[in-house]
Parts: sequence; C-alpha cells; structure tokens
Amino acid sequence: MKKKSVAMLLLLAMLASMLSACGLFDGMGETTTGAGDKKDGEVTEITWMFWDDLEATEDLITKGYKQVVDRFNEDYEGTYHCNVVTTNLEEYDTKLNALIAAKKTPDVFICNPGPNLTQYVEAGVAADLTEILTEQEKDWYEGFSGGIFEKVTYDGKIMAVPTNFAAACVFYNTEMFEAAGAEVPETYEELLEACEAIQAAGYTPISCSAGTAWCLSMVAGYLCDRVGGPDNLAKIANHEMEWTDPSFIKAGGLLAELSKYFQPTAAGDSNDQATAAFYNGEAAMLIQGSWVIGQINGNNPEFEEKCGVFQFPAVEGGADPNRMIVKTDNLVMSATTENQDAVIALMKYFTDEEAQKYTAEVGGKIPVIDDVKINYEVAPMQLSYVQEILANMSGTLGFYNESLDSVEAGDTFDNAMVDIFLGNATPEDAFQRVQEFYEKNVWK
Amino acid sequence: MKRMFGNKRSIWQDKRAIILFIAPAFLLFTGILFVPILQVFYYSFTEYNALTKPKFVGLANYLELFRGDRTMRIALKNSMFFMVFSAVSQQLIGLALAVALSSVKRGKNFFKNVYFMPYVLSSAALGLLWAFLFNPRMGINQILAYFGVEGPMWLSSTSGIIVLPMWVIAFVSLWQYMGSTMMLYMAQISGISRDLFEAAKMDGASGLQVFRHMTLPLIKPMMVTTLSLNCIGSLKFFDLVYNMTQGGPNYNTEVLATHLYTQGFQYFKYGYASAISVVLLGMCLLVSLLINRGIKVQVYEC
Repeated sequence: MKKKSVAMLLLLAMLASMLSACGLFDGMGETTTGAGDKKDGEVTEITWMFWDDLEATEDLITKGYKQVVDRFNEDYEGTYHCNVVTTNLEEYDTKLNALIAAKKTPDVFICNPGPNLTQYVEAGVAADLTEILTEQEKDWYEGFSGGIFEKVTYDGKIMAVPTNFAAACVFYNTEMFEAAGAEVPETYEELLEACEAIQAAGYTPISCSAGTAWCLSMVAGYLCDRVGGPDNLAKIANHEMEWTDPSFIKAGGLLAELSKYFQPTAAGDSNDQATAAFYNGEAAMLIQGSWVIGQINGNNPEFEEKCGVFQFPAVEGGADPNRMIVKTDNLVMSATTENQDAVIALMKYFTDEEAQKYTAEVGGKIPVIDDVKINYEVAPMQLSYVQEILANMSGTLGFYNESLDSVEAGDTFDNAMVDIFLGNATPEDAFQRVQEFYEKNVWK
Repeated sequence: MKRMFGNKRSIWQDKRAIILFIAPAFLLFTGILFVPILQVFYYSFTEYNALTKPKFVGLANYLELFRGDRTMRIALKNSMFFMVFSAVSQQLIGLALAVALSSVKRGKNFFKNVYFMPYVLSSAALGLLWAFLFNPRMGINQILAYFGVEGPMWLSSTSGIIVLPMWVIAFVSLWQYMGSTMMLYMAQISGISRDLFEAAKMDGASGLQVFRHMTLPLIKPMMVTTLSLNCIGSLKFFDLVYNMTQGGPNYNTEVLATHLYTQGFQYFKYGYASAISVVLLGMCLLVSLLINRGIKVQVYEC
C-alpha cells in the first residue's frame, strides 16, 4: 500500500513537471489571452506587434504610435483593449515568423512593403481588406491620399493599411559643410568633391551602416537606379535584364568608390550607431529614409537647426535623377483574427487626423491622408525640406531589397553589396552571385 | 532474498506499476522528442512553409544543400572549426584547471566559483555583453585607442579562412564553458581514493608522474563524457553566434544552427531547414560514436 502511494506521488510529480514545461512554451508567445472565449461585457483583447519598444524609445514616430495605442485603449475602455508585443527591429521578422508558424499570429502587425508583405499575402496570413475598405468603411478609405495603396495591393486586393510614408534623402550637417567649404552636390562627381573637401577638413564625410546591411543596400539601390533606372526592377523581375548588366556593375563600382568616405567602423556599426554618429556631429552626411528625422530630433533636438536635406545626386550620363526611394509603414490584419472590428477600429486610430498630424509635425514623416493641416511652423524643419524635394519628384521606387522576388533575394542583394563594400568581391563577382541566385530560384 | 524475488507482488511483475512508472517519461520523450525527430526526417524531403501543405520533393533539399549552397559550406567549415577548437581548448584548459584546483589548499571554492560563473549566466546576456565589448565604438577598441593602437574589427572582419569573428566567438564560448569541463573533471578526480596518491607519494613518484600514470588513466571515463559534451555542444552551437554576429557579415560567421534558423524562421523554408537539422543530427551521432569507440575506457577498481 505504501509503495503504491509513493508511486502515485512520483507520478504526480512527473505530471506536474510536464505541465509546467508546457506552460513554459505557452509563455513564450505572449500573444492574445482569451481572444476566442469572449463573453458579453468582457473586454475584447487584440495584439499589435511592432518593431520598436514603445516605452524605452527615443524615436518620435514610435512615441506617436504609443499615443495612438493609449488613446485607443482609453476611448474603448471596457470594450476593446490593445496589447502590444514589441521587439527590436533586427529581430522583428524572425519573431513574427515564429509566432505565425506557431499559429499565434498577432491580430494586427506592422509590415514592410515588398516581399516581406508578399510572403504573408501568399501564405494567407494577411487578411484581404478590400471589401472592408471600399464598401463597409468607404469614408475612411476615401480619406487616404491617392496611390497610397499601390504597393500594398495584390491582384486588385488591398492587403494592408499604410500609416505614414517616408522618402530616402541625404541628410547633411550644414555646419560641417560650411567649415569645409563644401557645396550641396547635385551630381555624383560633386558628391565625391564634397567628400574630399570634408575629409580634408578633418571630418568623416559619410556615416553609413554596413553592419545593418539594408542601410548600405539603400545607397546601392539609389546608385543602381541613378545609373540604369527607371525600369531596372521591372526588367529584372521579368528577366529582360541580367544582374550582370553593365549598369549594375557600374553602380557597384560607384558604391565601392563612395564607401571610401564612410566612417572607419562602418563595417561593424549598426543602423542606430551610424545614425547616432551623424546627429552627434561625427560625420557630415547620412543617407537615410526620412523616418530618421524623428530619430535625429528625438535624440538630439539641437541638431535640427544644422540639419539640411538634399536629394540623392544624379549620375552623369545616367538615368532620371528625380526619382526617390519611398516606403510606407503598413498595418496588416491577421487573416485568422477573431476580432476584426477591434482591429479596424485600431487601424482607424492610426490614420485619424490627430495621429497623422503628429506624424508630420512631430515625427517628420509624410501623412497618408489628404485632410490634415500640417503646421510647418512647428513641424521639424527637415520635413519641409523633404516636401520640397518631393515636389520635384518624377517617380518612386521601393527599396531595392524590398523590391526583389523574395526576402531571401533581398538579403542576397544586400549581402552582395556588403561584399563590395568590404572589398571581398569585385562588383562583377558580387552581382554574379545575385545573378546565380536569380537563375536558380527566380527565373527557373 | 528468496522471499523478495519470490514474492508474487514484486514490482517487476506488477504490470500496472511498470506502466505507471514508464508512461510519463515514455510519453514525454515520444511527444517532444521522437515524434518531432521523425517529422523532421519527413519534412526534410518536402518543400514546406508551415502555412500551406508540405510538397514532397524527394532529395532536392539535400542535393541543394551539398551542391549549391555556399552558406552551407561556410557553416560546415565554421562548425567543424568550432568543434575542433572547443574540443582541444576545453579539454586542455578544463583539465589543467581541474588538476590545479584539486591540489590547491586555500581558496579552492572561490576559484571554482569564479571559473564556473559564466556557465551559469545566460548565453543571450553574455552574447550581448561580449558584442558590446567587441563593438568598435565601445569596449576593447576604445581602450586600445587610448594607447594609440588601432584595434581590429573584431566582429566584422572577413579575411582569412577562419574569419576573426569566429575566433572571437570561439574564445568567448571557451570562456563560458571551460568551467563545466573543469567541474566534471574535478568531480572525477575527487573520486579517486586518497590512499592511491599517498601510496604513490611514498613510493617517490613526482607530481608529474602521478598525473601522467595515475590521474590521467583514472579520469579517462570522464574524458569520453566531456569530449562528447564539448563536441556535440559546439556542433549545435547557436546562441553566442546569433547574439554576437547573427551569422554576418555576409554569412561569414554562419554555423549550422544559425543557417538552419535563418532558412527556417527568416525565409519560411522549413523543409530545407529540416534537411540541415538532419545533417546536424547525423554529425552529432557520428561524432559521439567516434568518441565512444575511439577512446578505450578501462574501469579501474579504486
């Protein structure tokens, strides 16, 4: 009898340890609690996943998002509640993909346009919003700026809602330019001259991160477009053009040349470190998307006055220099969410006038709705410079790595550019590698 | 004796008890180990993104892995380097520390804790800590700069067959794990009877002779254990690499586990990632087989 009770006790202990082990795995997801088993009068909880820490951040756009969520939770108190899952930017995709694979997709999540969104659309993770937007919520839909849904529409279906958009420009330190006697360059040659002058004056000309590959790749994307644009990407997608085309090779050569003016630690610096080097006055130029305005002014408010903006220079004998790399932040609704109404309500908060006004006036990014009156007196000075550049814009392109066939294709391009920068590969070899990837995986 | 085994109600005959005792462990192992391993074998022959149904593709994943995948070659090279480096360095330093600490009279526990400490701490935290230390804008290079030396790009240099970041990561992992090897050896050494050492001393054996002819043969069984742990641990190694370099720059510090992770969780190629994990499993089994066969263990009465 005694033996039996001991055996039972041991068994219980084992079961308990098993259960606690399962509990551990459950805890890892941190997603919605009790989304399905909702009763009347109970609060509907939804989860929004985002790529920056809402509490610890200095980024003004992120702070704006926090306000949106707080406002939403306050206004809908007792009905809806939004929980936020955050990661840092570098780990975002990985963590989101893991949650999706575990069938714990957040109800709504932020997403880059391009293959990133494409993979969620193709996998059926993203909900089709067309009907909701064009029929049920017509007023909301009509408030958006024209063409804003273009990059998030697949076969006529709208798969995401943009919350703001940004354009990539060259930010520069006007004081350093003055001290070095450098002029704002309009062509690539002039850019090199400016770099020379700045270097001669004892400053680092350009701050760039190759540790975060897409930062370097963005410069490469601009060079590819300035040399060979504007149809490069479309031609690549349809295999009417090879990656070994002379225009790409030339762009690779220009990248190698330009990268001599990067700060010495560029290979190891992260995006944030490279940006900090710029707003802390260690380097004269930063080539970045205009989302960086929020980051710069949030971290070093005094820098706003000396920060100028110019468009990425033309390459002589190349293509149209007035094209800009632009990008939207997008909200994707999970196809499996049980709380569509709450998600739509949250999305509306992100795109309402208050949020959009903040986006422009504090965050320095460009609103996605037409009906918002921006007070340029209080908005960051950089925003109006960016708007001036945008006024002359003749066309847009996406980030190169986000415009290719898949996330992996984008990474292949990014890494090929890093290889050129590190001097491990000639432009010919590096683009040959992208070519091989496309031959094997895309152009089959 | 007779009564005990002759008793009909002995636990060995009580089927219910047998089932009761074995079931939890059996279920646990089947559920979280055997079944997933079998699933991985199946998935490795498919194209699978976890969202649509797996598509059978035969050996395509394996062919691609060994023929076309440049990153796989880098990962194999790095993982092998990592294994050899850890095996050799851990054995030498771990054993040396164990022998030295076993003969130390004062402060033994203090030093034991000092060497063991990194093993107890979270790899993720340590990875970040060392990533900061080796970051060009903070840490070691700043100290070097103070003395007018320009430090290398510890975590982003890409020259050489085995790139510098791999050496750095291997060093950090040595620092982290040598404590555990040391502990295991110390446990084995402390198990050797004191009489033997005293007898050897009385016969006039020098310290080196004692180590060479007594300690070393007597701790051989532990060598098999620690070597297996070192080798398998370093083949499966993931956390420090992921936290310090994410396999970059340009895949140069990719190891098998990080390659698997990128392919599976970044690119949704679970079939392909499964194939990598099958290769990894095969390598681990092979290595532990080689070690167990390769080292002859004699058990001494002591």
